[in-house]
Amino acid sequence: MNKFTNLLFKEIRELVNKQLIISLVMMMAIFYFVGNMAKSEMKKAAATQNISVLDLDQSALSRGLADSLKTANFKVEWSQAKDAETAVQEAKKGETYILLVIPQGFGESINRLEPKEISTYTFIRSLSMGGMRKSEILRAVIAATNNYLSNDVLKKKVPDFPPEVLKSPIKSKDYIIVKDKMAEGSASAISGFVFSQSFIIPIILFMIIMYSSQMVISAIAMEKQNKTLETLLTVPIPRTSIVTTKMLAAGIVGLLSAAIYMIGMKSYFGGITGDIRASAAMTGVIKQLGLTLSGSGYLLLGIALFFAILCGLAMATILGVLAEDFRSAQTLMLPLMLMILIPYLLSFFADVQSLPLPAKLLIFAIPFSHPFLATPNIMLGHYSAVIYGILYMAVVFLVLVVIAARIFSTDRVLTMKLRWGKKKVVL
Amino acid sequence: MNPVLKVEGLKKAYGTKVALTGIDFEVQGGEIFALIGPNGAGKTTTLRIVSTLLTPSGGKVTFLGHDLKKEPEKIRENISYLPEEAGAYRSMKGTDYLKFMANFYADTGEKADEIIRRGEAIAELGSALKDKVGTYSKGMVRKLLLARALMTRPAMAVLDEPTSGLDVINSLEVREIIKRFAKEGISVLLSSHNMLEIEFLSDRVALIDKGRILDAGTSQGLKDKYQAPNLEVVFRSAVR
Repeated sequence: MNKFTNLLFKEIRELVNKQLIISLVMMMAIFYFVGNMAKSEMKKAAATQNISVLDLDQSALSRGLADSLKTANFKVEWSQAKDAETAVQEAKKGETYILLVIPQGFGESINRLEPKEISTYTFIRSLSMGGMRKSEILRAVIAATNNYLSNDVLKKKVPDFPPEVLKSPIKSKDYIIVKDKMAEGSASAISGFVFSQSFIIPIILFMIIMYSSQMVISAIAMEKQNKTLETLLTVPIPRTSIVTTKMLAAGIVGLLSAAIYMIGMKSYFGGITGDIRASAAMTGVIKQLGLTLSGSGYLLLGIALFFAILCGLAMATILGVLAEDFRSAQTLMLPLMLMILIPYLLSFFADVQSLPLPAKLLIFAIPFSHPFLATPNIMLGHYSAVIYGILYMAVVFLVLVVIAARIFSTDRVLTMKLRWGKKKVVL
Repeated sequence: MNPVLKVEGLKKAYGTKVALTGIDFEVQGGEIFALIGPNGAGKTTTLRIVSTLLTPSGGKVTFLGHDLKKEPEKIRENISYLPEEAGAYRSMKGTDYLKFMANFYADTGEKADEIIRRGEAIAELGSALKDKVGTYSKGMVRKLLLARALMTRPAMAVLDEPTSGLDVINSLEVREIIKRFAKEGISVLLSSHNMLEIEFLSDRVALIDKGRILDAGTSQGLKDKYQAPNLEVVFRSAVR
């Protein structure tokens, strides 16, 4: 067997241990289980819901309100209680989530154009998203009913004007422009949709970079802790091969692990958002504006991610040499973790372009920022920013590899240690 | 007779701390040459330099005519190093560890198999070779590592405290293995605190202290020179 392959297989075998396989299988199972649970909960929430209604009015209008609930996929269970308090007590014992109490005189008041309160009681029996949605649907039904009632009154009072014109005399038409492309739509709806479709990308980037870096730093630290590094350094194989195989193995296993994680996460998020379907119109607008990742866009993002992984691996290799054992390696991951975490969090909450110059420069100086910035830049057509980011990462990687190779080809691989107490590197 | 290893004026400093002040010695083919001295004397530094782990700050080391600074790869092909606190990969089986190491020295599968068979015979661990190294006792690990060092039939084995931490039986077995291989023509450069062990094992001895070689010769020659009953007394007299 080729010496390089021999070493690479050994590195992969060391990384793919029982613990890793068990943790990956467990994570997959958990994601799948939780995703399926969430999916069934969301389905339940979207399916016909039971609602208790105490109609103390018994008017045509109150019956009409109850009927409109049926059209909103609610199954009405009529409460026979004498008053609201008794109805609440009865509902508490049952399994209903929502109780609607229509007071006496409701129909008459509405007809006289006097506001009359109806009461809704939502029983929080779980803090799941599905549970919360039931009361939202009811609120939407009441809003629609209000709209219907006010339109009805307006039609009677001002028959010459459509109620919508009276209620909203100013009409607006929203347009969104992205570079040279324009489409009709609301900016908030579009950005919300784009976020919902692409929020998974930074999570994927974060996990892949973290995973690979963690593996290489641990691999080097374990060689030191188990006292196998000295022997390995005296076998007839170039030192650069030792560094390269460690980085390559961590990269391969990191990518595979991240892919497995992502399949699990996709199943999990698919469960949560499974019932939310983007309207065909929204998808059309997104495509019209070019706010999607095309094949070349994915390729650019892939290249950016690849170089970020390489930078992470090279940095972790250098940090791994500083570690004395596995435990200190975990501590040494901290600076690397921060460098990945900062752009990761920023990608959710801030626009880098709007940051003050020093902060902007700091973000651009961190090599891991560039894959996080790549997605919005590709979507908005700022390809040059993505390419500059990739070139910058390539330069950083080369510098780090030269440093790592130098360390491994000198005494430093054995003598360099970070002494926390003395706060200096002893060479 | 041409020496396999020639060390001339070897110096090593770690920053401002001087570990070796300029030492000279030679090791002949099939000879067991020992460095004895207290902790911090410079034994391990010398062995690490000869094994190409560390680079010398000064002086010259040649092995089979290859300059250590210019051709470290050539030296690695012909030397096996056993560090004092060496370990093996805990997740590997004993045989797999030998196979992994053999693959660095063999060009073909047949050659690798031959090396592995030799390693298994040296280790004398029987069916335990099919178990993971993580389950081994310290003595078993040491035997496995010694087998790894000798199975490739290197021109020279560099052994740092080969019996360190072993019980009497295991120590005896390891010493016998070293003796046997030296008889077959493998040169051995070793270090030890254990002067009785050195007396039993080595053909020649160098007394090292504070980074310099105080004296060198055969055990008997040194005992005669210092009129001492054993090497411990020789060392004390040489230091004074």
